Amino acid sequence: MTIRNTLLDHGQRFRPRMACLKKAEKVLLEMQDPKTGVKSQIQRLVITTIPHALTGEDIIAWLAERFHVDAQEARHLGSTLVALGYIYPLQHHKRLIVKADASLYRFQTPYFWPTQQWPVEDTDYAIYLAKRNIRKKGMLELHEQEQYSHLHKWMNHKWDFIVMQAKEQYRAAKERKKPDRVVFDCQERAYWVVHRPPPGTVSAMDYGLNRRVDPGADEVTTPDFFERIMIFTQQSIMRPRVKSSVSIGALVKHCAIYHGHDPFLSKCLPSNPWLTDDVTSWNLNMPNVETPTKMRVERWTFSFGELLSDPRGRDDFRLFLRKEFSGENLAFWEACEDLKWGAAATMREKAEQIYKTFLARGAPRWINIDGKTMEITVNGLKHPHRYVLDAAQTHIYMLMKKDSYGRYLKSPVFKETLRKAACPEEHKFTDAQLEHNARNRRPSLSPIILRQQEQEQRARTAASAPVDITQVMSRLSRRSKDAEPRPAAQGVRGT
Amino acid sequence: MEADSQQRECRTLLPHSDSTPPSPHAFDHIMSRWRRSVDGLTALRRNQWDCERAQEALSHVMSCFHQLAALLGSSADGAFLRNELEGIRALAYRICSGLSCRLLCLLSDSEPPTTGADDQQLSERLWVLFLSAAENLLSDLWKASDLIGRFPLTQPKDRHALVSTGCIDGPVGMAARVVLVQVPWVTLEEAPSPDLTSHITDLQTMLNEMQLKVPVAFWSVEATQPAWAEAHEDLDQPEESLEELMEVEVVSENKTMSACCRLHCVRSGIKEGPRKIQKALRRNI
Repeated sequence: MTIRNTLLDHGQRFRPRMACLKKAEKVLLEMQDPKTGVKSQIQRLVITTIPHALTGEDIIAWLAERFHVDAQEARHLGSTLVALGYIYPLQHHKRLIVKADASLYRFQTPYFWPTQQWPVEDTDYAIYLAKRNIRKKGMLELHEQEQYSHLHKWMNHKWDFIVMQAKEQYRAAKERKKPDRVVFDCQERAYWVVHRPPPGTVSAMDYGLNRRVDPGADEVTTPDFFERIMIFTQQSIMRPRVKSSVSIGALVKHCAIYHGHDPFLSKCLPSNPWLTDDVTSWNLNMPNVETPTKMRVERWTFSFGELLSDPRGRDDFRLFLRKEFSGENLAFWEACEDLKWGAAATMREKAEQIYKTFLARGAPRWINIDGKTMEITVNGLKHPHRYVLDAAQTHIYMLMKKDSYGRYLKSPVFKETLRKAACPEEHKFTDAQLEHNARNRRPSLSPIILRQQEQEQRARTAASAPVDITQVMSRLSRRSKDAEPRPAAQGVRGT
Repeated sequence: MEADSQQRECRTLLPHSDSTPPSPHAFDHIMSRWRRSVDGLTALRRNQWDCERAQEALSHVMSCFHQLAALLGSSADGAFLRNELEGIRALAYRICSGLSCRLLCLLSDSEPPTTGADDQQLSERLWVLFLSAAENLLSDLWKASDLIGRFPLTQPKDRHALVSTGCIDGPVGMAARVVLVQVPWVTLEEAPSPDLTSHITDLQTMLNEMQLKVPVAFWSVEATQPAWAEAHEDLDQPEESLEELMEVEVVSENKTMSACCRLHCVRSGIKEGPRKIQKALRRNI
């Protein structure tokens, strides 16, 4: 009866397996054991008292003891349980974390636990919003108002049912005793804070896209299934093999090189924005920043691929090549990338343009590739497609890597960049400052604006670069002609 | 009386009213057709009225079920709660089956002249509302069956696994509410109600069958009231909001502004049984 079947989801209906839920439930059942679990307090309200409240410090102490971890790890684990919706805070119900003080929490009733099998229904949310609307006489929060209007539009056919059910549930809740009513209302509110978070918050329920296959269902062993297993094993046998010492050696080398640069394994300078809500790190590492950080410049020395894939590194390399008058290699490589990844409509024109600029005899920015590759490329250009310049591009790439890259790393351009690189100090935030940061989170620049800036920069570099090598040659010859008469004139004046 | 006046009206409308009276046979035929249409119309209206009342009753029962199902697996769970839940579920089953039969009759009536456009619209609206309610009930039943499976209370030690959520005496108020339900066919037809799993399968098959038998374009049904309308109805006396209810008592001599909760006494778990706590709460309130 819902309009589920009209969604263009190509049959992708199933939520991926959330294995953390079963584990969290086990931990929770241990925690709530009256004898061996977390100590329970009484919550004192003006109208009544409600039992089964827990303090944040008790939760953290219990988790630290049970799993033999330190307090910070226990706090993160507790916050995960709150973020998943198994425990909810009684004060500050919108911030789903565990604070290591006397703030109170309570266990969520199993009816409101997150489940793998059944996704959260919009109908239930609509009923909840209608109930809240009745109770608060229209004073809902902004995101709730938007959701309400959206659901009213899309569920218009069952809106009468929703309102009727909301009124009935509202009346039913009033029949209960006050403490139970408070508890139920808190539970429901906490449930919807977890499953319909306000925009801009990070939700633990984010699982990405839906899947085609139900992870809970067993796979049917049809002949197709065995066919697939056979194909997979045959391909594994045919794969080229490498000695494990070699492959493990490569892994170890990669880890050793990148260890210091991984924000999970070592410190992220100045501070990890995901942990401290302070975006200096991202601002310092923007694609088109003037002064890159020292870590970033260090990464350029690891491999040529790293240098090219970082936009700032590519800019630096381009500057170096311009000084050496071999910028056409990089320009050709970038044009080939544009052809490969660009729109299909303009592909033919782009290929022709590239041929005219770089490959034709007497072209303005002629690149130096060997005869065989040139032959293959020119033949391919008769029927251009996305990958027609692949051979030439690879040749140029290897040329730059073997020749220019080495010289770049020893050049004054690189040394200057390295000298000017910024090395930010590590932030040391107090808890109060962290709270302040969390409250002042703002969204970053829109990607549309960033793309516009990128395009403007590209246009600027294209305008300023020397397009024609003949122009450069003529400029050089003009300069040499200007330089000569002056010493003669000076000589004449001297005597 | 009414029939005579109708007969007189019928006679004046007939083409040969001035001249010789028509043969009794033809006249009876016309009259019976007219009476059938009028009877059909009244029966239709009564059916629709019944269905509307039944829909309201179903909503009522579903809200009770929802409240009780939220207590499954918590510290208020017990044999009493589960029996209550069974009773409510049986009632919901009877209402659902009766309502589905009547709605099928209403909408598969193949006499378009008797039902006007408005009547057809109303029937379709009732259909759509019933299917939405049945879907919602089905999801509630699924959850309830899952929870009952996860927290079986067959042995006393199973009670340790129940989550202490702060709810103590849950189902007491619900029993009184459910008695208020008055649906015409519920008292008449005393069919045996199935257990939970067969109820779920029955409901699912019923939903599928209903959607296959009658093609109703559910997107053509529109809501009768506009958005935000329910906030302006005065349901009962003004309620306190959750924030006001959650106000913590500030026990301090120096009158600090931040109302933090001072936790004096019971640091260990709840020692007394539920009855004693009920008594204590009643004393407090």
